[in-house]
Amino acid sequence: MKKEFLVYLGILVLAIIFYFVITEPVTFSPAVSLIIIALIALILIFIFIRTIQGSFVGRRTVFTFVAISVVLPFFMTIEQAIRTSPEVQALYAAVEELKPGAKVLVSFDYDPPSAPELQPMAETFFNLCLERDLNVIIMGLWPQGPQQAELAMQKILDEPEIAAKNLEYGVDYVNLGFQVGNEFVIQRMGDNIASMFQTDYYGTPYDSLPLVRNVRNLSNIDFSFNLSAGYPGTVEWVQVAVDRYGVNLGAGNTAVQAPQMYPYLRAGQLKGLLGGLNGAAEFEKIAGRIGKGTKFMVSQSFSHVIVIAFIIIGNAAYFLGEKRRKQKAAE
Amino acid sequence: MDAIGLWIGAFLTLGIISFLYKDNPWYKLSEAIFVGVSAGYWFITLFWDSIYSKFYIGITDKGDYYLIVGAILGFLMLLRLVPKIGWISRWPLSFIVGAISGFYLINYFSSNVMRQVANTVMPLFSTEYGQSLFTAPIGTIVANIIVAGGTFTGLVYFFFSKEHKGAFGVTARIGIWVIMITFGATFGYTVMSRMSLLIGRMDFIFGDWLGLIK
Amino acid sequence: MNQIIKRRVITRLSSIVIIKILFLSLPVVAEQLIPTIDDSVEAFIPAPPAEVIATDAVYDQGGAVHLEWQLSPDDDGSAGVYNYQICRQQEGTDEYIPIDSVLAGVSSYIDETVEPGRSYQYIVAVNGDCGSAPSEASNVVTPNIEWLNFGLSNLFVIGLIICGSVIYFIAHAKRGKKLFIRRIAGLEAVDEAIGRATEMGRPILFVPGILDMDDVQTIAALTILGRVSRVVADYDTKISVPVSRSLVMTAARETLKASYMAAGRPDAYSDDMASYITDEQFGYVAAVDGKMVREKPATCFLLGAFFAESLILAETGNSIGAIQIAGTARPAQLPFFVAACDFTLIGEELFAASAYLSGEPKQMGSLKGQDVGKGIAMIIILLGVIATTFGNAWNISLLRRIADFLRTLFEVG
Repeated sequence: MKKEFLVYLGILVLAIIFYFVITEPVTFSPAVSLIIIALIALILIFIFIRTIQGSFVGRRTVFTFVAISVVLPFFMTIEQAIRTSPEVQALYAAVEELKPGAKVLVSFDYDPPSAPELQPMAETFFNLCLERDLNVIIMGLWPQGPQQAELAMQKILDEPEIAAKNLEYGVDYVNLGFQVGNEFVIQRMGDNIASMFQTDYYGTPYDSLPLVRNVRNLSNIDFSFNLSAGYPGTVEWVQVAVDRYGVNLGAGNTAVQAPQMYPYLRAGQLKGLLGGLNGAAEFEKIAGRIGKGTKFMVSQSFSHVIVIAFIIIGNAAYFLGEKRRKQKAAE
Repeated sequence: MDAIGLWIGAFLTLGIISFLYKDNPWYKLSEAIFVGVSAGYWFITLFWDSIYSKFYIGITDKGDYYLIVGAILGFLMLLRLVPKIGWISRWPLSFIVGAISGFYLINYFSSNVMRQVANTVMPLFSTEYGQSLFTAPIGTIVANIIVAGGTFTGLVYFFFSKEHKGAFGVTARIGIWVIMITFGATFGYTVMSRMSLLIGRMDFIFGDWLGLIK
Repeated sequence: MNQIIKRRVITRLSSIVIIKILFLSLPVVAEQLIPTIDDSVEAFIPAPPAEVIATDAVYDQGGAVHLEWQLSPDDDGSAGVYNYQICRQQEGTDEYIPIDSVLAGVSSYIDETVEPGRSYQYIVAVNGDCGSAPSEASNVVTPNIEWLNFGLSNLFVIGLIICGSVIYFIAHAKRGKKLFIRRIAGLEAVDEAIGRATEMGRPILFVPGILDMDDVQTIAALTILGRVSRVVADYDTKISVPVSRSLVMTAARETLKASYMAAGRPDAYSDDMASYITDEQFGYVAAVDGKMVREKPATCFLLGAFFAESLILAETGNSIGAIQIAGTARPAQLPFFVAACDFTLIGEELFAASAYLSGEPKQMGSLKGQDVGKGIAMIIILLGVIATTFGNAWNISLLRRIADFLRTLFEVG
């Protein structure tokens, strides 16, 4: 108990030192970065050899390596080449096809825990829409979704090119807020949007918002984009909005559920798909706007390399263990 | 004010991460705060969105009196708390189960069965339905074969009316292989997702809080 | 600035509409009048759109009219044309009222502000830099209510076949006829796993998912619990069923009691075997994890609906060296069970296992009925892919027609 307490106290003291002593951002030069990478590789090889020799590492070692692989790239001056996949290109093309003044409905169906993956997508999508003078209508089927939308929108409105446009709330973009009822909300929106959103996020009545006054139902929406972290999410939007009301839908998903969306993509029920941080980075690349998605990608790739290394080490340990067990059994 | 928020956020983040070392009071405190805050947030949101803006405003301002039916059903649900008449709560439950089953049946049947079968009827060697032979690049041909073959063999695996023997058994084996490969891909995607979450938190600690990242 | 232009356009447009109505029989006169409204010298007025056709939207509640027209010949993407104003005349009134506008380049509109049973007529006017030009009036349209959506008749027929076979097989099973279900690999491991726990003198842990009794996966899990507890009662092994829903606890207790009665050992049953923990997802997981680590069960059953907790539970079970049999119909969680458990009932296998073990007519009949659906899908996919691939290869029209037919059979909407 005492020992643990000391460890936590140590972390806190370290944090305070970092907070007050190092006030400037830290960056490693390329040479230092390479030396660090080489060091990590050497330690991994050492662990691999030790594993073959029969001494296995504990789970805390794995955690430490994952943490290092995630944090160090933040300070490195390394760039990663990003190639865009067809599903991301398809989404971009679908947005590009829209004419200025087209109405885009963006549903925020996630909460802060999924923000690292979905927030960069939201920001890039808003940027793309506002840059092209598309009208953005925001809503959420998750209670904290519209709040995430506000954060993303504020960030984009502060960017110089967008700020120069002097966009007006209620005319160029609007946040309708959260509505309880999962897919039944979408179902009702197919008939009458105002019945589900009597007021917007700030309590303004639906009919007094110029942007949506003439938007009766989903058939008045030119394109719909859904950011989803689970239920209700993309599956429900496809089943109700696309299959019942013929809405054009694109989606951004957390990587956990992205694989399940490919059948819909293939059948044309989804116009495009962004899957996880990777999808966010690709979307940033194609939209020509470097954001957090791209920035995080180096950490992502580094951590994947570490995970792959430990999968190899773990398998070596497993098969060697099996072999020893068999030998013991034979004796 | 922002600085206090940052410090609280960082304190709780580190508390949750400390679980990786060992279960400890700091972690337990952070978890309890998380559970309590989220439950409170949900309660308040649902109260203002459902009971106030939908039900109360709906009846007083708009005169939607049919909402009373829903309110009664909702109230009946609460009777579960009274053991003697708790059985009444089965009525609204059966309404929900019945209505939702009907709604889902159509949704899943049309989106996940009908449309998917229609789209699996595709020429293996062309890019699009109705095109002539070998117009597709080799990658698309391989993808087409995997999609059509994977769907078919997967269905064979989940066909329970015939023993997996002979040619049928071989097809089912291919089916389970396809399913396992899909699981592998899903697992990979999940690892990616979890790493993203960790990256997001680390960015918060080292960037937003400590200000070490440019 | 924009506002002013818009207002000007609207005033101009309404004057045109009024003129148009006044001189309805003399449209030429109306168009000649336009330049007099506009006082610019070299006015560019786009040519009017033509052939405005209004049709009642099919299979709806009579609340929509589809409008289509030919674009103004001047609407070629150049800046001179900026939108089309849609005006509507309702039966019994004698004026056209502007209802909405669409951007240049758009040649259709859905009017969803109509009432069923009333007749309407439309005019579409193009707005250009210096003036507007209205089209001829459209045909008269009367939106109707349709009670049945015949666009979905294929969905109805195929749904009827599958639901019909479910009902048929349930009736068949109720009459006592035997229905065949194939061997399921994970099931054979059940007895073996219970036997192992007995030998080691350690308990069995059974987790029936984290959803309530209204989820069919929970019901399947409890059916399997019935069978497991029957064997457990015979062997006199300890069993523990922690649950996260109060209704599930009651149902689990009833299941366990029935099994112990059937095994002839009602005295060995106790209510403590099934205990409620909490509805909160991660609170429940933490408690079950603690239970696993402390009691070290020899066998863990993780059957039912699971979410993010699947990997946490399976990992802990694996770390204490328990034999684990898992099963869920949630595709996102299956990979974790496959990786961390010894046997996994994948998707529908969970329901099949439940039906197989219980022999209950409803479950057996549903499974067989669904097999009919799967059989149809398999045949359609096989025939369709062959027909379209070879039909395209050698340009055989018969094969192509077969493929088209099979595809349209399953196309919705």
